[in-house]
Amino acid sequence: MRENFRCKTGLKTFLFFVFVFSVFTFPKKLIAASEESVISSGHSNDDIKRGKRFFMGLLPFDRKYESCVSCHNIKQADTLNWNPSAFEIAIKYAEKDFASFQTAVLQPSGVKMSDSHQNFNIAGEDLKTVKAYLDNMAREGSHPIKPSYFNLILFLFLGLILTWALLDLIFFSKVKLKIIPLVIFLGAFGWQVKMIATDAMRLGRQENYAPDQPVKFSHKIHVAENGIDCKYCHTTVEHGKSAGIPATNLCMNCHVIIREGTNSGKFEIAKIVDAVEKGKPIEWIRIHNLPEHVFFSHAVHVGSGKLDCTQCHGQVQEMDIMKQHSDLSMGWCINCHRETQVDFVENPYYEHFIKLHEDLKAGVIDSITAENIGANDCSRCHY
Amino acid sequence: MTKYWRSIEEFKDPVLFQNTEIKLEVNAKRELMQQQSGSSRRDFLKTFGFSVAAAAVVASCSKPVNKAIPFLIKPEEITPGQANYYASSYFEGNEYCSILVKVRDGRPIKVEGNNLSPVSQQGTSARVQASILNLYDDARFKTPLKRGEPTNWQEVDGYITNKLGQLKRENKKVVLLTSTIISPSTKSVINRFLTENPNAEWLQYDAVSASGILKANQLSFGKAFVPDYRFEKAKVIVSFGADFLGTWLSNVEYTKGYSEGRKLLGAGDQMSRHYQFESGMTITGSNADVRIPVKPSEEGVLVASLYNEILKSKGLATFQVPASSVDLSGLVADLLENEGKSLVVSGSNDVNIQLIVNGINNLLGNFGNTVLTAKTLNTHQGIDAEFETLISEIKNKTVAGLLCWGVNPVYNHPAGQEIKQAVEGLELSVSFAERIDETAAACHWVCPAPNYLEAWDDAEPKTGSYSLAQPAISKLFDSRQVQESLLKWGGLEAPDFYTTVRNYWIESLFSQQTEFTDGKLFWNHSLQRGTFESAILKEAELNYTQSGLSDAIIQIKPSSDGWEIVLYESVALSNGNAGNNPWLHELPDPVAKVSWDNFASVPVKWAGENGIQNESVITVNGIELPVVVQPGQAAGTISVALGYGREIAGKVGEGVGKNMFPLSTIENGTRKFWLSGAQVQKTSKTYQLAISQTHHSMEGRPIVRETSFNEWKLNPAAGNELKEVHEKNKVTLYPEMEFKGHHWGMAVDLSSCTGCSNCSVSCQAENNIPVIGREQVRNRRIMHWIRIDRYYSNHAENPEVFHQPVMCQHCDNAPCENVCPVSATPHSDEGLNQIAYNRCVGTKYCINNCPYKVRRFNWFKYVNNDEFDFASNSELGRLVLNPDVTIRSRGVQRIQEKKTEAKVAGRKIEDGEVQPACVQSCPASALVFGDMNNPESKISKYLKNERNYHLLEELHTLPSVGYLVKVRNKKA
Repeated sequence: MRENFRCKTGLKTFLFFVFVFSVFTFPKKLIAASEESVISSGHSNDDIKRGKRFFMGLLPFDRKYESCVSCHNIKQADTLNWNPSAFEIAIKYAEKDFASFQTAVLQPSGVKMSDSHQNFNIAGEDLKTVKAYLDNMAREGSHPIKPSYFNLILFLFLGLILTWALLDLIFFSKVKLKIIPLVIFLGAFGWQVKMIATDAMRLGRQENYAPDQPVKFSHKIHVAENGIDCKYCHTTVEHGKSAGIPATNLCMNCHVIIREGTNSGKFEIAKIVDAVEKGKPIEWIRIHNLPEHVFFSHAVHVGSGKLDCTQCHGQVQEMDIMKQHSDLSMGWCINCHRETQVDFVENPYYEHFIKLHEDLKAGVIDSITAENIGANDCSRCHY
Repeated sequence: MTKYWRSIEEFKDPVLFQNTEIKLEVNAKRELMQQQSGSSRRDFLKTFGFSVAAAAVVASCSKPVNKAIPFLIKPEEITPGQANYYASSYFEGNEYCSILVKVRDGRPIKVEGNNLSPVSQQGTSARVQASILNLYDDARFKTPLKRGEPTNWQEVDGYITNKLGQLKRENKKVVLLTSTIISPSTKSVINRFLTENPNAEWLQYDAVSASGILKANQLSFGKAFVPDYRFEKAKVIVSFGADFLGTWLSNVEYTKGYSEGRKLLGAGDQMSRHYQFESGMTITGSNADVRIPVKPSEEGVLVASLYNEILKSKGLATFQVPASSVDLSGLVADLLENEGKSLVVSGSNDVNIQLIVNGINNLLGNFGNTVLTAKTLNTHQGIDAEFETLISEIKNKTVAGLLCWGVNPVYNHPAGQEIKQAVEGLELSVSFAERIDETAAACHWVCPAPNYLEAWDDAEPKTGSYSLAQPAISKLFDSRQVQESLLKWGGLEAPDFYTTVRNYWIESLFSQQTEFTDGKLFWNHSLQRGTFESAILKEAELNYTQSGLSDAIIQIKPSSDGWEIVLYESVALSNGNAGNNPWLHELPDPVAKVSWDNFASVPVKWAGENGIQNESVITVNGIELPVVVQPGQAAGTISVALGYGREIAGKVGEGVGKNMFPLSTIENGTRKFWLSGAQVQKTSKTYQLAISQTHHSMEGRPIVRETSFNEWKLNPAAGNELKEVHEKNKVTLYPEMEFKGHHWGMAVDLSSCTGCSNCSVSCQAENNIPVIGREQVRNRRIMHWIRIDRYYSNHAENPEVFHQPVMCQHCDNAPCENVCPVSATPHSDEGLNQIAYNRCVGTKYCINNCPYKVRRFNWFKYVNNDEFDFASNSELGRLVLNPDVTIRSRGVQRIQEKKTEAKVAGRKIEDGEVQPACVQSCPASALVFGDMNNPESKISKYLKNERNYHLLEELHTLPSVGYLVKVRNKKA
């Protein structure tokens, strides 16, 4: 009985800690949002709510199983959706009047959109509320992606168990079998160490990082289907440190004519045209982030090393969404330098290496790797 | 063996000095420990525990999202990440330099010398190098101001146009007061403005002018001009107080010429002999073969005596002159031996002295040989007397309007305070200042001019030598070119100075060449090169007349008694126009090695007799000044630098040092920068100066090697005998390093190096070296990667001086490398000592083990730190950082750039293609860099020279840097 009681107090204390902890970690934004009343400009709240219901397919619509949201995402999705998201549409039409919105929805000009919007029959009233809903969305901004606190919560939880086990082991001795808190302690501690170790090792590395870009640009379509060479767009790769994200006017070389894509319709390409017309450059998300203190030059690797782009960037021609192929760690660089052979004979620059040429001729060595000519010197990349 | 020393204390008792130095250093470090580190071992553990937890938290959160924003429309010439170079011209504070501006992704980050210019010949000075920082100065005006309040150009134009019109109708005088203008296009604009406003007058005012020379030449040649001095042609150079290697007239050009006339690389090379008469130790005096310390009041007597002696030797009638204390017979013999190949110059602003100097040069046949009169130097045109007239006119209200451009008389004129009051009482006062200054604060209107890197301009520094300045960045603030303002107020609708410059070049200069048949082509070509040499010489050599000479000699007074104070332009700050530049403030004076202050240089003997030491405080005519006991300071004189003590300059420069301009006087219509009969008093105070002369000691080992020209002629290895000894003793247990490709090396010609410190600032700009401030310099933490060691030898009253740039020696057996516990500093395959900054954990073992004391440690985070509020604390100030180099926190890229270029192009690197920042712009061509594996390269030849030695070669560190023995052309 006494022991039972003890256990209960222990549990209570534990639950209390969990409660305190969750109060601190509960996203404060959510609490704030629930208290805030929705204010809209120019539209009544009822319109907005009704529009939302229509968009979600909760009101009658002549398609049986589909509604707006079936194609136009409201929340961020993990998979590629060629159709513009609700938020993108909202932004685009926020400044425009209802008539143009209506024309765009009911009498679309593009091939792809006419296909999917075929025989749309939406009452003006319904569509107006949809516009109100979208306008409101444009004003409020899209829903921010909630950061995942899973790792943090787990880490702190383990810390808590660990502390409890330790305290029990030393002071309270509420659990009779000493082995239990000991195992719990070691287990929790070990797990924590493992978490720190894995995270620390991964710190700053972003293999497979594939963020959503402001324009749904597909390398697969441009490279694989249309057969455009990498260097057509990444012009400075042979001479510059960076390969160069193409300037928007370079896109317009083709897109001055091509205004509609097979997958994305007109919406995505219109963004480029818009950027050029408004004089506002597209803000891409940078994928390949080298750690600080590293200087890397594409010119050496592509210009003189003649490396193939895919060696570091992977099968870009198969990527609809561009992602980071290599982990860009120092070990990865160094290993490649150790294995990669240098075109020693053809490039007259290497005539500086008289001794190596002699050795090569005499057959003392059979090939020169990048490492042999100092590619793994610290100051090659760190200066 | 000659003893070399760095301070008076070391001279007196080297052993005691060494011991005190160590104690001082230890004490300083102990104090620092107590002051700064409030942290203990427990704090460390706490921090450690916290950071482990923080690491886990951080790791579980999302990573920052970086954006990559491409050009919308990419300009053709820009490749992101690659630098472009634009030719331009620097002309500020009467100093001219043709430059290349390195622009990375739209922002200028470095100034380099333009090798196409016949004037500056790829050289720059420390001030030119530091000027890039002025562009990003927080003290710049962001908008036009009306009585200190921000306003807009519309209001400015409305009011001023109206007011100018009113003054014109009332026929009240308006004066456009500028510093010397060397831009022909600007002159044409000013003339248009003057024609439009007949009541207006244009006046040029220079803080430190060449009035003496101008007026003397007016008498001697009938034209006020500064002649073209050719130091490279002179076999004997005599300078009376002219610091021509430091700040005098066209110092970069003179340094080039001077070192060219003294290069000794092979048998048969000749060397000029340089005599210097001066009071304080300048860098020119420190390079002289014969240096004679004299009082400034004696200069007249000396010049007159020299003239007399030459007359006497030539059997001509002599004059009555007071006796001089110096025996000039040796000098006279030298001069007469080299008639037509000698050069006599004087830094004096006294017309009489300059007249006699002209007389001497004439007697020696130097005109037309080493002193050219057909080509003139235009950088100093201000006549002091004219400005004095203006002051009285402003005071008595004859002048109603004043437009100030590039001048700061409130600061740099002895009557500054009166001028300030008078300007405040004017009907119209306008300042075109770029940044805040004392005169702009007194003016009603401020119409900010852009920085020279944001503006179009041209220049004619010497007759027939033209150059262009082009914007390297669009205007950062709401500024407008002065030329455009003047045109606008003159009634022109949409003035555009670019068009004016372009038209001037096509209309006036196009006809002076034959290479191009099309004006546009000529313009583009000139703009690309930055310079243009006219094929037409406008004038022949002028004829010398003796007018005024005999009067001048009669007027020479004997030297006076009592204290004499010499005011000089310091190498770093010159006349103080760039007073808010932290790089210049931190640059140690080349001789005294003091940064962040001006100081009174007092003679050694007097100091010893009166118990005065470095950092004692004395008063000079009531101004309190810290003392530096200066070997070589003439007895009875004290030298103090101008350019300090700015009251309104910006956060860096305000209140640094004391303003000495108020001590200058006006005599016979010219400014005099020395005074006699000064009151000097001792005080019991002390002031802590940032003196770095005894820091980074190499513990008294023979670092400098020297010989004389005569000995060198007999044996090119003279003075370098130790090298042979060390070579003999060379044994090693380790296999020698093998460098398969390149093996980079550098050579320093100690004979050429003048100590001008251009390389220190150039390196600072290139490598993002932080400014650390007075306190930290005192703590022996000066950051300059190239320091210039200065050694004295022989007599303390008049020592011989040696300047020795010391940078990382890139030893092949580097002592710093093998002590690093984390291998953060290994040796590269190309012989470079590399540092992986992010690997460094800060043990500082390398610093302790470096025999050359060249390792630097970043003790603090100097960027974005309120403790170090200089230039890196604002977005604006940080724009100057070089993106190709790490901003080291705690804890060479030019080679890579050229190698990449060569590799991609598939060719070998040519000799001289890779030029580090210090080498590129060295005005004395004292530094050479190249591949030692290439036997044909310049560096290989330098290192094979008999004069070459390595620092502390007995340690067998095998440095990649060689030094060439200093040769002096001493009188046998």
